Amino acid sequence: MNSMVQVKQSDAEGAAPGLGVKPKVIARDVNVFYGDKHALKGVNLDVPARAVTALIGPSGCGKSTFLRCINRMNDTIPICRVTGKIEIDERDIYDPTLDVVQLRARVGMVFQKPNPFPKSIYENVAYGPRIHGFAKTKAELDEIVAGSLRKAGLFEEVKDRLQESGTGLSGGQQQRLCIARAIAVNPEVILMDEPCSALDPIATAKIEELMDELRENFTIIIVTHSMQQAARVSERTAFFHLGYLVEEGRTEEMFTKPKDQRTQDYITGRFG
Amino acid sequence: MNDQHTAKAFDIDLQDIARMVAEMGGLAEKQVADSVDALAKRDTTLAQRVTAADSAIDALQREIEEKSVLTIARRQPMAVDLRDIVGALRLANDIERIGDLAKNIAKRVIALNAEFPPPKLIRGVEHMTDLVLEQLKAVLDAYARRDDNKAMAVWRGDEEIDAVCTSVFRELLTYMMEDPRNITCCIHLMFCAKNIERMGDHATNIAETVHYIIDGNPITERRPKGDTTTIPALTGA
Amino acid sequence: MVYLYLAGLFVLVAVGYLFGRARAKAAADTEALHSRPPYHGAFVGLSIIAPMLLLLVIGLPIADRMIVNQALQTFDPTVMSDDLRRGVALRDITALATGKYTGEPTLALRQAADTYASLRAWTYNLILAGGLVVGLLGAAFGFRSLSASFRARNHVERAVKILLLAAASVAVLTTIGIVFSVLFETVRFFERVSPFEFLFGLQWSPQTAIRADQAGSSGAFGIVPLVTGTLLITGIAILIAGPIGLFAAIYMAEYATPRFRAFAKPILEILAGIPTVVLGFFAALTLAPIIRETGESMGLNVASESALAAGIVMGMMIIPFVSSLSDDVINAVPQSLRDGSYAMGATRSETVKKVILPAAFSGIVSAMMLAISRAVGETMIVVMAAGLAGNLTFNPLAAVTTFTVQIKTILVGDQEFDSAKTLAAFALGFVLFFFTLTLNIIAMQIVKRYREQYD
Ligand SMILES: Nc1ncnc2c1ncn2[C@@H]1O[C@H](COP(=O)(O)OP(=O)(O)OP(=O)(O)O)[C@@H](O)[C@H]1O
Ligand SMILES: [Mg+2]
Repeated sequence: MNSMVQVKQSDAEGAAPGLGVKPKVIARDVNVFYGDKHALKGVNLDVPARAVTALIGPSGCGKSTFLRCINRMNDTIPICRVTGKIEIDERDIYDPTLDVVQLRARVGMVFQKPNPFPKSIYENVAYGPRIHGFAKTKAELDEIVAGSLRKAGLFEEVKDRLQESGTGLSGGQQQRLCIARAIAVNPEVILMDEPCSALDPIATAKIEELMDELRENFTIIIVTHSMQQAARVSERTAFFHLGYLVEEGRTEEMFTKPKDQRTQDYITGRFG
Repeated sequence: MNDQHTAKAFDIDLQDIARMVAEMGGLAEKQVADSVDALAKRDTTLAQRVTAADSAIDALQREIEEKSVLTIARRQPMAVDLRDIVGALRLANDIERIGDLAKNIAKRVIALNAEFPPPKLIRGVEHMTDLVLEQLKAVLDAYARRDDNKAMAVWRGDEEIDAVCTSVFRELLTYMMEDPRNITCCIHLMFCAKNIERMGDHATNIAETVHYIIDGNPITERRPKGDTTTIPALTGA
Repeated sequence: MVYLYLAGLFVLVAVGYLFGRARAKAAADTEALHSRPPYHGAFVGLSIIAPMLLLLVIGLPIADRMIVNQALQTFDPTVMSDDLRRGVALRDITALATGKYTGEPTLALRQAADTYASLRAWTYNLILAGGLVVGLLGAAFGFRSLSASFRARNHVERAVKILLLAAASVAVLTTIGIVFSVLFETVRFFERVSPFEFLFGLQWSPQTAIRADQAGSSGAFGIVPLVTGTLLITGIAILIAGPIGLFAAIYMAEYATPRFRAFAKPILEILAGIPTVVLGFFAALTLAPIIRETGESMGLNVASESALAAGIVMGMMIIPFVSSLSDDVINAVPQSLRDGSYAMGATRSETVKKVILPAAFSGIVSAMMLAISRAVGETMIVVMAAGLAGNLTFNPLAAVTTFTVQIKTILVGDQEFDSAKTLAAFALGFVLFFFTLTLNIIAMQIVKRYREQYD
């Protein structure tokens, strides 16, 4: 709660929200290679805690690549190589002694296309708590599932059909189910890769509303192609172009008076 | 704006808005010049024409507003484009006010109805008008060329108008004290002077807006103030 | 004759097509066409093909029958009533007519052959001429229909649809035909042996005597031993192939590097290409002795031909089916589900167990069912490794026999085609068919129930 107040206060002072304290995620000189392809070039970025950071940029500029570095999803791609340093809470996540499973429990991810597992709604949400052994009893698990669904703003819609398949929901509901699934393990950071690109405006609005609530407890990093969405939901915005992080700053400034000409051209729709 | 938008129609929308603002500015300049001309030449017909012509400015303002709102809704402009459109709205507002002030002068010309103050006094007002018109022309030019330096020059140049305004006020005061029969016409003239001074203020506003459009930040330095009419002139003279 | 007819047909169609197209092209200069010129050409072609083919397909068999009857009539009207004599006579007549007859023909035969030859030449010419006439009529009809606004495209589309429908019907009708022919023979079998005895009898020894006085003339037709034998062997096979095939598939799809996969998958598929005879003698000559020796060293009584040997080898045979099909369905599980699971912090095996297998479940089941059908239908391995004895047992070390083996055994060699023994093969075939059909239906239900829709 009070972090929210802090954000608001620092907002009013015009300082970078949340950046006054220690950043949650720190990226230093991050380079990513897919085989020979240099997809991300020397990215430095500080992500404030309990705030929404938006990553924008033209297609193929490396937004998803950067996002996937933060929970080491790039490990699942054999040809992918990451150099540089990424810290979460001052702990290097590429440290060989760090357990990826635990990292991913702390850093949840929501994908562009809703990807509920072919299981019941309940089982979808219970998936993470089960594999990490978060619930000792069935009642505890029930509570986690209901709580997560509630936080994801889905509980009321599905409470009578928790045993039905998650794939039978509408696209927007599926995406909120995926968000519920991600927050069920109570992560600290949530990565969202274009979470609304397949959704209609109302479902999009619901998810944006949800992000607004989630920012109280979670650090959210979202990739989006909608400038308006970035402007609406985020405190900070980072603009990627051709693998470089071109500009990063407070969202208000990025969208009213960006410093870099490339940012300007991109957000005003001047890229040919 | 060297680069073009991917959506060409967006460029055209923005150009349309800028063109309308420029057109409005031109009209307002002419109104100001004509109204003071009518005053100097005691030409009520011209004054009547000025009063009538004001509706054209109002119509243009409405059109700019509509077009801007539509463009915002349609294109969701960002950054410089957004400032461009918001700036245009503000410019239109200021220019419309200038038009109103000119119309007000013209009305006073009609109201004076042959009871004109001596040309000596009017000359001061005319001088002010020249200065204001110069400012207006410069600032509209700055807008058309996106010339921040020129806009800033206009913004700083308001001082002189204020100074002239103060001296005109003093003159009128002395004149009124000389002969109370002059009071009616002098009051009218005083309001005309005040109107012109307000026009100068609007020109400064416009300069601020132009700076915001170009730079993205409001002007932070303090503006030099030359107008001391408000209190000291009335009490101290 | 038929070739000549078809050649004529081809020429007519080609000419018709070209003319139709040319005409449409010419018309296109003055008017807007509804359909493009090739469709006009195709329409003319179709209006030639349709009547000509129809004439051939209907006319030729009728003509043939007429000729044969006429020839036989001339030869000896009495043969008509006896199938066997009729066949012999017909063979002689056609042989003589085509100059392949060896020996000295009788007068009647020679006359019949003459009648046959002349009638044949005559009717064939008639058909040729008729074909030409209907072809030309068709062409005329086609041409007359053509005009700029003529909807040739729609007609051609309809013709294509009919062609495709015909192809589909052939497949369906063949199946139905086979089922019915088997069914009829089965019914004849049940006239001799009661269905109750057949389905529930515990004894299988179909060696009914060909002669009535032969010893052991009454056969026993109870299929229960065959059912147990089939189930036993299939069970062993699927017990082996199911886990191995599935695990291999999971390894290939989820764990193996692309390089290993590229090398291992073809090898696994080669296994599927090994002829079953080869597998059969591997089972009989290599595996069975090993099993027997091992069994005996443990003090067990092992038959030299055992269900176990057959089952194991059959399992090996169907491993590639299971693994290859499962591999395909596992690969069809969208990557997004894996990403989702890994992003939750699941390990690889958790992901396989909790996400991939459930998602691929229906596909894996159908792979298994297909493999079972394959195993049930397999003959050669069982013949060689499991023997022919219809033992009613669930002991994998005993010799057993299966449906397919029995069908094969019954039908090999000279048979009397209406003895109960021979007909039993059809009954067995019918039961087998019914069995696999049931299997397929179950599989289809499972697939339908658990199918996940991915796009
Ligand atoms: N698995 C991969 N193998 C090889 N190259 C890849 C892979 N994933 C991404 N790339 C390359 O890396 C670059 C950055 O890709 P990335 O997916 O991060 O782009 P993005 O900014 O997310 O684009 P989009 O907005 O289209 O999602 C692209 O040029 C892409 O071709
Ligand atoms: Mg992406």
